[in-house]
Order: sequence, then C-alpha cells, then structure tokens
Amino acid sequence: MKSKGSQRWWKLDNAAKIFPSSTSRHNSKVFRFVCELQENVDPQILQAALDQTVERFPIYRSVMKRGLFWYYLEDSTLRARVRSEDLPPCFPIYPSIRRGLLFRVLYYKKRIILEVYHALTDGAGALQFLRTLVCAYLLARFPDAFVPPYPTVLPDASEWQKQADSFQKYYEKPAGRRLYLPGNAYRMRGSRLPKNHLAVLEGQIPLAKALCCARERGITLTELMTAVLIRAIHERMSLRDMKKPVVISIPVNLRSYFPSKSARNFFATIQVSYDFSRQEDSLDAVAAHVRETFQSNLTKEYLRARINTLCALEHSIPLRLVPLPVKDIVLRIANLLAMRGVTSSFSNVGKVSMPPPMERMIRRFSVLTCAGVLQACACSYGESYVVSFAGPFREHEVERTFFRELAGLGLEIVLTTNFPSEGEVN
Amino acid sequence: MRYCEACHISIEGSIEYCPLCQSRLSGEPEEDSYPILLPGRKPYRLVVRILAMITIIAAVVCAVVNLSLPQDGWWSLFVMAGLASAWLSLGMTIRRRRNPMKAALWHLGLVSVLLLLWDWFTGRRGWSIHFVLPVFYSCMQFAVAIAAWVLRLRPSDYMLYLLLCVLAGFLPLILLFCGLLQIMYPSAVCGGISVIFLAALLLFRGSALKNELARRLHL
Repeated sequence: MKSKGSQRWWKLDNAAKIFPSSTSRHNSKVFRFVCELQENVDPQILQAALDQTVERFPIYRSVMKRGLFWYYLEDSTLRARVRSEDLPPCFPIYPSIRRGLLFRVLYYKKRIILEVYHALTDGAGALQFLRTLVCAYLLARFPDAFVPPYPTVLPDASEWQKQADSFQKYYEKPAGRRLYLPGNAYRMRGSRLPKNHLAVLEGQIPLAKALCCARERGITLTELMTAVLIRAIHERMSLRDMKKPVVISIPVNLRSYFPSKSARNFFATIQVSYDFSRQEDSLDAVAAHVRETFQSNLTKEYLRARINTLCALEHSIPLRLVPLPVKDIVLRIANLLAMRGVTSSFSNVGKVSMPPPMERMIRRFSVLTCAGVLQACACSYGESYVVSFAGPFREHEVERTFFRELAGLGLEIVLTTNFPSEGEVN
Repeated sequence: MRYCEACHISIEGSIEYCPLCQSRLSGEPEEDSYPILLPGRKPYRLVVRILAMITIIAAVVCAVVNLSLPQDGWWSLFVMAGLASAWLSLGMTIRRRRNPMKAALWHLGLVSVLLLLWDWFTGRRGWSIHFVLPVFYSCMQFAVAIAAWVLRLRPSDYMLYLLLCVLAGFLPLILLFCGLLQIMYPSAVCGGISVIFLAALLLFRGSALKNELARRLHL
C-alpha cells in the first residue's frame, strides 16, 4: 500500500461487467480448476505457496465494490487462506455477507482446488494462477527434487500487462449498432438438486486415442466432443422439443487470436446451432456441421466483430449513465434473454502444461463451471483428456449418452463423481 | 477401480451403483475424490424464527384485547407499527451485519422515514423535523466518525458513508432556509456540525475523499 489515500482499484473488464448483476443462487458464475497430485496435499506448504502466488497476481487480492454506475475491484488487505474442501463445488463467492476475496483455494486429499468468480478472470487467467501456485507448492514440497535453474511457469508479462483489459485494446467502434435477440433454443429441464448443489461427473479419456478418433473423421477433438454433446442432448429431447434447435455456446480464448498477456477476462463465445427437425442425427452429419460453424466463426474478423458488439454496450453513453441498481435489473433481464438462446456450453481450456520435472508429480488437471444449466468443460494434461460435466439436475441422461457414445468409439473412460456413495443427496 | 458392465466405463471412488445407469458396479472400491458434505447449519435462524413467533403472538394478543375493549381506541395499531419498525431495523442490521458503516447509513434512511411516518400519523405536530431528526443526524455523524476511528477502517471503507451522513446533516438546514421550521436552534446546530465535519473531511482527508469519489462515480 503506497499511502492511505491512494488505494488501488480496477474497473471491471468488459466481460466481467455483466457477471455481478447476473449472478444468482443457481448460477454462481464460479468456475473450478482442480490439480490432482500423486500424493496428499500438505496444507501448510500450500498456504505458503498461495501467499507467494498472490504476491505475483495483485488483482487476486481485490474485493468487489459497488459504485454509483458500475461495480469495481478494489485492493484489500485480506489474506487468502487455504481451506479443506468444505463446500459444494462452485459454491457462490459473490455476493456474500462478508466482503471477501473473489477466489478460494481448497484442498482435499490429493487435490488442489482453485475456485474463481468469473468477474475476476476467465479460465485461461485462472489457469495461469493455478499453475504458478502448483509450481510454488511442488518446489517447496520437494526441495531436493529440483536443481537450479528452478522451473517456473510465470508468464513473461509485466504487472501492467497482466492487469490490462484487453477488450479495450482491440475495441473499435462498429459502424452500425447490431442488437439482436437470440432465437429460443431447446432448454434442458429436470428436477434440481437442493440448495446450491452441483452434480459433477468427470470422465478421463486417453488423449492419444481420442485424438485418433477425431482425426479419423478429419475434425478436431473439440469439434468431436461438441458433436457428441449435441447428440447426447438430442437423446433426451421429445419430438415437440425438436422444433427448437440445440445451441451450444463455446467460449473462445481470445489470447490465441489477439496478442494479450492479461490475467483477466479475455474471451468471447461462438455458438453452434443444430436443428434436429431439419438436419440428420448421425454423428458424421453433426460433426460436419460443427466443423463448418467452427471454421467460419473462428476467424480474426468474426471474433473482432464479436468484441466490438460486446464492447459497444459498455461504450454507449446513455447506458453508462444509468445508476447501478437499475443496471442490475436491466443486465439481469438481458442475461435471462440471452440464456434462452443457449442450450448448454462446452468450454475447452486446452492443453495444460507444467515444467517437465514436475510432470510426474501431477496426476491430472480438470476444470468445471457452474452456470445454471448442465455444462461441459474439458482440459488435457499429459496423456489424459478430462471432460467434466457439472449441472444442477438429479438426472444424468445427457452424461450417460455422452460417455456411452465415447465408450462406443472405443475409448476407455474413467469416471469420477461427487455423488454420495450411499443414498441420495437431500 | 470399479467397473460398470452396462456402460463399459470404469469409475473411481467407493460408489456402489453406476452414476450413469444405476446398475451395480463390480470391482474394488477406492477412496473418494470428493468429500461428503453435510448441510451447513445456520445458528441464528432458529432464534430469529422464535422472535418472529413471539412478535406475531404479541401483535395478535394486542389486537384481540383491543377489539374486546373497544372504548380505548385503536391503540393496538401503534403496537403493531412499533413492532414492524423494530423488525425493519433488526432485519437491516442482520443483512448488513458485516459492514457496520453501511448498516449505519441504511439506518439513517430507515429511521428518518419511520420518524416522519410516526409524526404524520400521530397528529402531525412536527416534532420529527423540529427536534428528533436534527439531533439524530448530528449524533450519526459523530457515531460514524468515531466508529471509523475505533475500528481503524481504511478510507475506502468509511469515506463514502461518512460523507453521506454529513450531507444528510444539511437537510434540516435546507428546511430551515425554506422557512418550514418554527423552532430553529436544533436544525441550526445540526447544520453547523455538518459544515464543520465537511470542512474537516476536505482539509484532512481531501485526497482520500477525491479518490473514493473517483472510484464510486467512475463511468
């Protein structure tokens, strides 16, 4: 802290601006990264590693505050404490009665768990934090296993680069305003689990075999998984439901398209829509359609247009002048409308890498998110590709069809769940 | 590792039935990857519920007695309004319990409204705007300033709330200048205190105040 008067603060980035208003009990906007080690986690060493890591990412020390027009992040003196996992996955972080940090670090047996409120950062940003944390933990836990130069995963980025809002950098005013309402997509329904419980199913798949399966069809792994997911959702639809398309929203890490080292949000979403009343339901047909959508949408021009649309709202003067309580209501309604156009989402965080000497100490990484509906996330580490489903429902028909179809493709799947071993959660 | 013959999928943990198709699993159980979570308890919930029940019983008893003895007028309405006011205040305190400054500010607003309503419905004698509100606003400024000092809060945690309390202290002064008041000295004293507080804020915490406003008002 420089002086009492000049406390640091940050405006929310463009993507984050909608999150505080649209967070609800069922939709905590919290996502979780898990790093599973080969042996049990030592909480004291983890705490020391966490202290070190937070030093490197000052924005993780911030708390959320309400201004007259917008929410903002403000530096705090709170210290992040590691806790034994004592909450359901992706338990709400903000708003809470006690003003707290916007992330938490938990541990359970062999797992180090990082849960982050989406307003703070996106998957890629949080992964940067977790990798730094795990790296610091392993260095302290096995001091003899490493020789200088000690491995590091810290990005070559200045503090300024890490805190930058990259949306602002790549925004240019669009020529015409394009505000459109999404069409209605098929929405999954079912009986919900009580409270804020989230049912998690993680399926570990051998990466090489999965890649083979995808390449045989001439598509990427993400495209294959999206196609299988669309088909799995189709299984539970009635004929009446099929009047509406299945729309899968896919977050895209914009850092891969626009140079940025931001540790904050920098993503956009593309949507794959599949209409089973008009299109065939074979895997090949769905996969071909998914591939087509990916290829036309994953271009710099298309994504730039997405950034411009996303940022245009934030830059419109009349909207900016609306006081926050009113904005809360408007953004909440806008979010509900946008959600009507999406069936589910599939976010692939991609390949997680750790320095080679550490690779054998880590069993796997996985990721999951809570967004009010059934969602799938995936990441790969070493030889394993983990697809995680997280949803608020008691039924798991989509997951069953999804994993059975993958098993049918000849992939060996290892499932992990958080369902209790006896009886139901109630 | 356990195995589901129907799904051809292996399953980690000690779960007995397949999470996908609920058929019985074969193979040896292992330790679970997730903890078994018991539902958390909310310790104060029962206390609040008991208080609510007592309140309802008290209100009903008053109403019944009032109806049985009609010659006394409608005094039970005052009891009920009093209980409702107390509950509003209690609810607000519980909601804002982690942020005393915010709780104080919300109380400032709530108590002002309640005082005006009580004054209005008990004969419009104007005791609220003449005496109670000026005294209340003066006390609130001292209370918030002292609390901030004792709790060693950082400027960002008290500045806005203190500023708003000080500005509230100017309200009686405005009424005074509009000629709406017959008795002047409580409002004049309250306004004076507010001016002194505002001057002190600007002189000694000016830059912190400016920073706080820049944060809170950014577009």
